[in-house]
Amino acid sequence: MTDSKYFTTTKKGEIFELKAELNSDKKEKKKEAVKKVIASMTVGKDVSALFPDVVNCMQTDNLELKKLVYLYLMNYAKSQPDMAIMAVNTFVKDCEDPNPLIRALAVRTMGCIRVDKITEYLCEPLRKCLKDEDPYVRKTAAVCVAKLHDINAQLVEDQGFLDTLKDLISDSNPMVVANAVAALSEIAESHPNSNLLDLNPQSINKLLTALNECTEWGQIFILDCLANYTPRDDRESQSICERVTPRLSHANSAVVLSAVKVLMKFMEMLPKDLDYYGTLLKKLAPPLVTLLSAEPELQYVALRNINLIVQKRPEILKHEMKVFFVKYNDPIYVKLEKLDIMIRLASQANIAQVLAELKEYATEVDVDFVRKAVRAIGRCAIKVEQSAERCVSTLLDLIQTKVNYVVQEAIVVIKDIFRKYPNKYESVIATLCENLDSLDEPEARAAMIWIVGEYAERIDNADELLESFLEGFHDESTQVQLQLLTAIVKLFLKKPTETQELVQQVLSLATQDSDNPDLRDRGYIYWRLLSTDPVAAKEVVLAEKPLISEETDLIEPTLLEELICHIGTLASVYHKPPSAFVEGSRGVMHKRLPARTGSGEGTECPDVGNAAGGSAPEAAPSIIPSQGDLLGDLLNLDLAPPTTTGPTPSTSGMQMGGMDLLGGGLESLLFNMVSHPKMGAGFGAAPAVMPASLNAPVGGGLGDLFDLGGGVGMPMGAYIPPKTVWLPAMKAKGLEISGTFARRAGVIQMELVLTNKAMSVMTDFAIQFNRNSFGLAPAGPLQVLTPLGPNQTIEVSLPLSTVGPVMKMDPLNNLQVAVKNNIDVFYFSCQYPISMLFVEDGKMERQVFLATWKDIPNDNESQFQIQDCHLNSEAASNKLQGSNIFTIAKRTVEGQDMLYMSIKLSNGIWVLAELKVQAGNPNYTISLKCRAPEVSQCVFQCYEAVLKN
Amino acid sequence: MISQVFILSSKGDHLIYKDFRGEAGKDAVNKFYEMVTALTGGQPPVVMKHKELHFVHIRQGGLYWVATTKADASPFTIIEFLNRLTALVKDYCGCLSEKSVQMNFALIYELLDEVVDFGYIQTTSTDILKNFIQTEAVSSKPFSLFDLSNVGLFGADTQQNKVAPSAAATRPIVSSQGEQGGKNEIFVDVIERMSVVIGANGVLMKADIEGEIRVKCYMPSCSEMRIGLNEEFSIGKSQLSGYGAAVRVDECSFHQAVRLDEFDTYRILKVCPSQGEQTVMQYQLCDDLPTAPPFRLFPSIERDSGGRLLMYLKLRCDLPPKSLSQELSSPDQSAELQPKNKAVHWEIPRFPGGAQLSALFKLEVSGLSAASLQEVGPVSLSFELPKYTSTGLQIRFLRLSPIQPGPSQRWVRYVTHSDSYTIRI
Repeated sequence: MTDSKYFTTTKKGEIFELKAELNSDKKEKKKEAVKKVIASMTVGKDVSALFPDVVNCMQTDNLELKKLVYLYLMNYAKSQPDMAIMAVNTFVKDCEDPNPLIRALAVRTMGCIRVDKITEYLCEPLRKCLKDEDPYVRKTAAVCVAKLHDINAQLVEDQGFLDTLKDLISDSNPMVVANAVAALSEIAESHPNSNLLDLNPQSINKLLTALNECTEWGQIFILDCLANYTPRDDRESQSICERVTPRLSHANSAVVLSAVKVLMKFMEMLPKDLDYYGTLLKKLAPPLVTLLSAEPELQYVALRNINLIVQKRPEILKHEMKVFFVKYNDPIYVKLEKLDIMIRLASQANIAQVLAELKEYATEVDVDFVRKAVRAIGRCAIKVEQSAERCVSTLLDLIQTKVNYVVQEAIVVIKDIFRKYPNKYESVIATLCENLDSLDEPEARAAMIWIVGEYAERIDNADELLESFLEGFHDESTQVQLQLLTAIVKLFLKKPTETQELVQQVLSLATQDSDNPDLRDRGYIYWRLLSTDPVAAKEVVLAEKPLISEETDLIEPTLLEELICHIGTLASVYHKPPSAFVEGSRGVMHKRLPARTGSGEGTECPDVGNAAGGSAPEAAPSIIPSQGDLLGDLLNLDLAPPTTTGPTPSTSGMQMGGMDLLGGGLESLLFNMVSHPKMGAGFGAAPAVMPASLNAPVGGGLGDLFDLGGGVGMPMGAYIPPKTVWLPAMKAKGLEISGTFARRAGVIQMELVLTNKAMSVMTDFAIQFNRNSFGLAPAGPLQVLTPLGPNQTIEVSLPLSTVGPVMKMDPLNNLQVAVKNNIDVFYFSCQYPISMLFVEDGKMERQVFLATWKDIPNDNESQFQIQDCHLNSEAASNKLQGSNIFTIAKRTVEGQDMLYMSIKLSNGIWVLAELKVQAGNPNYTISLKCRAPEVSQCVFQCYEAVLKN
Repeated sequence: MISQVFILSSKGDHLIYKDFRGEAGKDAVNKFYEMVTALTGGQPPVVMKHKELHFVHIRQGGLYWVATTKADASPFTIIEFLNRLTALVKDYCGCLSEKSVQMNFALIYELLDEVVDFGYIQTTSTDILKNFIQTEAVSSKPFSLFDLSNVGLFGADTQQNKVAPSAAATRPIVSSQGEQGGKNEIFVDVIERMSVVIGANGVLMKADIEGEIRVKCYMPSCSEMRIGLNEEFSIGKSQLSGYGAAVRVDECSFHQAVRLDEFDTYRILKVCPSQGEQTVMQYQLCDDLPTAPPFRLFPSIERDSGGRLLMYLKLRCDLPPKSLSQELSSPDQSAELQPKNKAVHWEIPRFPGGAQLSALFKLEVSGLSAASLQEVGPVSLSFELPKYTSTGLQIRFLRLSPIQPGPSQRWVRYVTHSDSYTIRI
């Protein structure tokens, strides 16, 4: 007879039949019946109605039957808490049973019944079992403490179970030690400061001793626990490393990885000139290589980890290039990871070998893999300068095969090579141009167009080539359209005489016939630029581009450090910090590599001498300021004030250049133009603003456009600070974000400029704010509808609401933002001018004003000076009104104008102000009164900003 | 920390479902099946995420073995654990199949209960577990030599499952009721996997061997087994072997139960094998093979006057003539064009050492140009060489102590598989 019959379909009276069988006198029949019940449970049928009958079978001396009943209990107790009480007596009795198996079984099962009422009965048996003479019972009881803690943490603390658990760390049985460590580690995670796992040299010593004796799984718990310890000095660090190293040859890969994690962390503390440091480096390579002979699943996980290790310490695997060569029958996801690591390990020493391999891969069958291989050749060229020439010739060979996707990928990477080594390989352009027709992917077309535009002066028929693209302009993707627009403008600036018509054509296509705001904006900007000042246009559009960096997709150093602390975990597979995917508070503690302390013998300093090869990545963290805190959970950040006002790095792309030229003041102007693109030429000319651009070789259309710009009569608008770079590209894998805040028609807007400075297309943008002082939150999703291609810039306006969750920030107007795209999640913080939050109905009645002014205690008043402001009181008042700062009354006393003003913040807080303006004195005095005096400082900053702009 | 473990059939039926921590719902099972069946070829299936839940799974015996977790757990631990779990189930139930899992669900639940507690893995050793497990396995069929289940030769993972399996190693380890074929047997398998890349010019570019010694033990009372390896066995690159016959590997790791006190001097492994299957030793050798790679290819690729692609392949087996089956190349070779993989599949049932086979393929390829000849290749071979180890590793002797009462049988088997054997053109 087999068990499979239990899975046969349910008939109507089945429950009834089972009930009868459960109550049978025959043991065998009972057992069979319980089995049937459990089979039904597995396939998802509800057999909870049988609860009392099954519980009745609990009192038996047949262990097999007992186990089955317990299995049932664990599943249904939660839904039948009252019934579960029925079982308590048996549990308590079983905990006293002479058979240790039954004692352990009872205590294990009780912990799994997650019913509050049961927990109180559990305490006494658990206490006994924790001190049981049999290690099997003790190890089960140790886990049970963790279970109980999960249900009722307070109870566990009150009952003193934590102390008992701590004692178990010194137990004679390694299995008990391992479980105690595991339980304590988990409990400690929910009490970050409890010091539960009091790790000190003595306890570490105990753990290291237990490490040698316990099962492989226990070793993992212990190693993971060790990884949280920070040794006092390099000697202790070395002695722990020495005792952990033997684990590297364990057959269980999880043990190996946990050991690698401990070593990678503690190595950080060892002086580099120590012999042992070198020995350790050598010992780390073989186990990592061994992992690559496991099943593909393990290989993949291992490769993701090796990717991190190689970025942190490339010297470990620098001689092992060969093991990362792709096998013909590797699954594609393993192949792609291997390629990534090959490029990271590529150096002058092995580049010939790597290139030979890559060339082979480029002729394989799998398209994705081939593409990545071709890209890898390009990356090698960029990374290893000596190999560039060979890479280019390899790429040319590949182009000769005329395989469509190979050609396209090759062109995309050749573009990058041109940018890295300008004026070196342009001789190949002719070959590239031959393949123009076969390009059908946007990225390749865009790359080709970029090349044509960039080298227009060397390509005789550049205008024809570009014109051919122009025919199907509206069918192209945005990426190509933008690139084409720029390329033709470049061409025009280089050969103005022949291409006037072409440039007009593209400008009108971009501005008049397109619905894409990015394209239109860029079109208008070029158009105005060309008509205003062709010389400036040349400087902007043909500006020298910064060289692209060697490694495009390195993980940001602080994140890398954190990930190194999580080697062997899911974080190392996702390449994201655990806080990004683990629920709640568990696991959000940020782990850091320990700092090198040294034992004071001065042996550890001469780091400078050998900085040539391997130590470059180590130096990186000090170059990039500590962005790391930002990378963590947005909820518990402790970041330093961000550098919002830092100098804008000399922006690279020509698009950005264009924006800067227009300056912050024109922001609103552009906004108007974009929102009424069809306004046409109806606006009167404003010759005063129009410079002598009449000689510009562009037709009248431009003039009209310009008229439009000059003619829009701007009312005194709200103050909008100039855009600043919030997130530099180097910290965000090529995504640069700059922006500002504005209040337009009562709506707060966050105006972002996203620039893609990486080599790959970015999509799937989304934005989120951390809780902040005024509950700012995006009122809608981030509208980036088209993918953002390399070198592309997009401007987005994000309307904000003030109904989000509130948390006081320091400074008050600090806003922490997370932006996600298809590549990663990036964090930055910025400060918004508080004037954004000033609402339109902020004008107080005079009587109310007076009463309120008196009502607010004098302690809440703060006084500030505004210096060097040359406006009279009238102008100041007007200007302030534009930002919703309302003048309620004005008084003149002894030649001093006293302006009384009111402001209402979006959260209903009123701020009252008194502004003293003395004719002829550029220094104003301002007094602010508010029930929430914290805002005063920010409000003052706004006054200053508004009045001075 | 493991949150749930479940086993699904390839059609998505729930066979086993066990929740250890009560933090995720049972709907995770269906969600997993949805996700795993929606995977495309390029996506790594290893770790999948749905909301807060992470799925790690392996496929064995045509079943999905899945563990979920909510913490930042170690995927290595979970994958290793799932592999062990499959090994345990195989040891206890005899073989891995939908049927055997279904029939033994009570046993598997009991195993899971002992193996994992509150998501912490406790033990996966059959030695320890046999003290606790009460339920007896139900075997799907009485043991029979003719049982051609889908297990490869010697239970090893082969690429070609068409080789007749040895069913001797596919029965439950623990079986108290009547010794149905339950002989005192012990199997020691030396299994090597080769991955070789031979360049277009015939130069050996890469040759790696990964090997392992597996013991499958059916003896209830075996206190110690001594496995003697080649005396000239050396480990590491530095040790020069001197005169010929030495067997060398680069790296070597052992099961933790292996005692090595006689290893340094006499190359003897001492194990107390627990019942069931375990890998006692793993080793690797990179690049420096003691013998030439077993197969060489002499290709010639050209375009004929009719614009067809001509591939003339000559394949030679360089093993000594006696080392393989002496049967002559049987006529039942076959070849087939697989347009989906853009490959020609040439199947050779038997290939004696020292022999040479050749084949001529003519292919109609549209738009064939001189440059597209570059695209042809590589040639990838998969094969199995019985009674052969490419490192030369041998088992000198196998001694059991105390001497087993009654008849006992000891089997030593060697096999070399191709892992990835690629010849570029």
